[in-house]
Amino acid sequence: MLIELTAVDKIYNQGEPNEVHALRDINLTISKGSMVCLRGPSGSGKTTILSIIGCVFPPTSGRTAIDGRKISRLPDHFLCLYRRQMIGFIFQNFNVLPELTVLENITLPLYPTGISPRERKRMAEPFLKKLGIAHRSQFPAGKISGGELQRVAICRALIQNPPIILADEPTAHLDSVLASQFMETMTDLKEQGKTIVFTSHDPRVYSHPAIDRIVDVADGKILTGTAGYALT
Amino acid sequence: MNVITSFQRQLNVLDYALASLYRRRMKNLGIFTVFSTVIFLFSSFQLMTRGLTETAAEILQDAPDITVQQMSAGRQTSLDLSVISGLQDLFGVTSIMPRIWGYYFDESNGANYTVIGLNLQEPQHDLLPPLASGRFPTGGNTGDVVLSESVRTSLNLGGRQSFSLFRPDLTLMSFVTSGIFDSATALVTADMMLISLADARSLFALAESQVTDLMVSVANPREIDTIAAKISEQIPGSRVITRNQIMKTYSVVFSWRSGFGGICLLSSLVAFVILAYDKASGLSKEDLKEVGILKILGWQTSDVMAIRFWESGVVSIFALIFGYSLAWLHIVWWHGVLFQPLLLGWSVLRPQIDVVPSFAVQDLLLIFSVSVLPYLCATVVPAWHSAMVRPDTVV
Repeated sequence: MLIELTAVDKIYNQGEPNEVHALRDINLTISKGSMVCLRGPSGSGKTTILSIIGCVFPPTSGRTAIDGRKISRLPDHFLCLYRRQMIGFIFQNFNVLPELTVLENITLPLYPTGISPRERKRMAEPFLKKLGIAHRSQFPAGKISGGELQRVAICRALIQNPPIILADEPTAHLDSVLASQFMETMTDLKEQGKTIVFTSHDPRVYSHPAIDRIVDVADGKILTGTAGYALT
Repeated sequence: MNVITSFQRQLNVLDYALASLYRRRMKNLGIFTVFSTVIFLFSSFQLMTRGLTETAAEILQDAPDITVQQMSAGRQTSLDLSVISGLQDLFGVTSIMPRIWGYYFDESNGANYTVIGLNLQEPQHDLLPPLASGRFPTGGNTGDVVLSESVRTSLNLGGRQSFSLFRPDLTLMSFVTSGIFDSATALVTADMMLISLADARSLFALAESQVTDLMVSVANPREIDTIAAKISEQIPGSRVITRNQIMKTYSVVFSWRSGFGGICLLSSLVAFVILAYDKASGLSKEDLKEVGILKILGWQTSDVMAIRFWESGVVSIFALIFGYSLAWLHIVWWHGVLFQPLLLGWSVLRPQIDVVPSFAVQDLLLIFSVSVLPYLCATVVPAWHSAMVRPDTVV
């Protein structure tokens, strides 16, 4: 298994008056090269699961392992390196820096790796061409359309060639054409061997044939019967 | 990570920091302007003090080795020429020149002139400030006077060469300009009138055998202090001043004034550092989001701190270079116009001098340590706070 979550609990603001028990006893395994959709209403805990897989923060208790390596208690420094090497993030609101150019946004993960500007540009070019935004590379990200912004976010997630792609509500702000295009891109990535985990409460994507499994999440728990079973 | 990769990584972070500075250019321009101004004021004081001290040292190089004055009841009084014979016997004394040194207050323009009367002979001209034109007064009651341009201006002489001063009994005494001091000596000659000893005695109505002080030259400079001590013993109630003491006095006066101004400016520096801390602490939503995005994309806390460090470093180094260069221009080009009154006094005949301070590494280090270092320290804590933003801020 590529991703394993065992008895994971997550409590935000533990011990404080605004304590929130976001996840309870989550057990989830995701195999390499699969596409998994975390489905559930807002506040159900989908994004928290995604964040724990993405090493954004550790679980309060339980065990997280990626590619057999336990990462739940790694210090921040190593989590950072792990994120850089293993994970590509695509956010619901894209999270690009509007004053940077498209090219700068896409190559942001490469800055701390010591890759020269010329090499960064060379690495970004194939992704820009493939996703049809090469002509926008020198545009400020704040001045391009929503669909282009998402393609910038996808390029940025792929620039380091990570084995895992995590996407948080990727189709929430897209019309049906763009949503469909996104799913096709994810399908291509899956065919290249990437493991894709995304959250969604968008019914348009649930029936996509590339999705191997849908995991239902509600009130911080995975509903019985969805954690380990393939959809098809 | 090898050295080249590590270096390229720092270049990348610097690249990002410069772009970040440009994105927040209005805020950073404001900080840069205030910081440059504080450094400019501080550097101006430092450079002007150094320039004045060096100019004074250069001019006083030709001053008499020892000046002897008579004191009575704690105040200076005139000295009888009869003491000269005793001093001439001291081994090592090469010459003794009597001098009358007094002040003449001109009610018409409020100026206070320094009048010096000397019995000049050609070889002793080396002891005097050099002339731009003309000649020194010869001995006797000639009425010749050497002035500075500022005294000529103050007296409203225009194209005229002669003028009159009042004796204590209100009778007039006429003088004719025989020479003009070199403007480079303005620090000591701005208010000076040099006349013959006989004319000075007449102007101040001193008795025939009386002078105000004696200028003593010594053969071996190492023996100046020893001979000064012997003179002091030989003339009871005398005040014996060596050239080094005069130079120290100038240095102390300029340093004291500069230090006083420097302390006043330090308070503005402290205020600026507090402002810088406050500005750096006030992270906007966009700032927090940016750090969150960078961290989720694999930037480490140290990388984000490096961005902030480079930002502060670039602003402060450029402010130092700009402020210091501006201070240099202010002193050399505009004659330190902002601080001349404070450092040279508010006299009517304040010297207009060209101060060209030598470049001193210690000055630059001092300014660096009281400006750049506190600024970097003031921004390091907010930078650390900013770098500690958790990546989940953007999730």
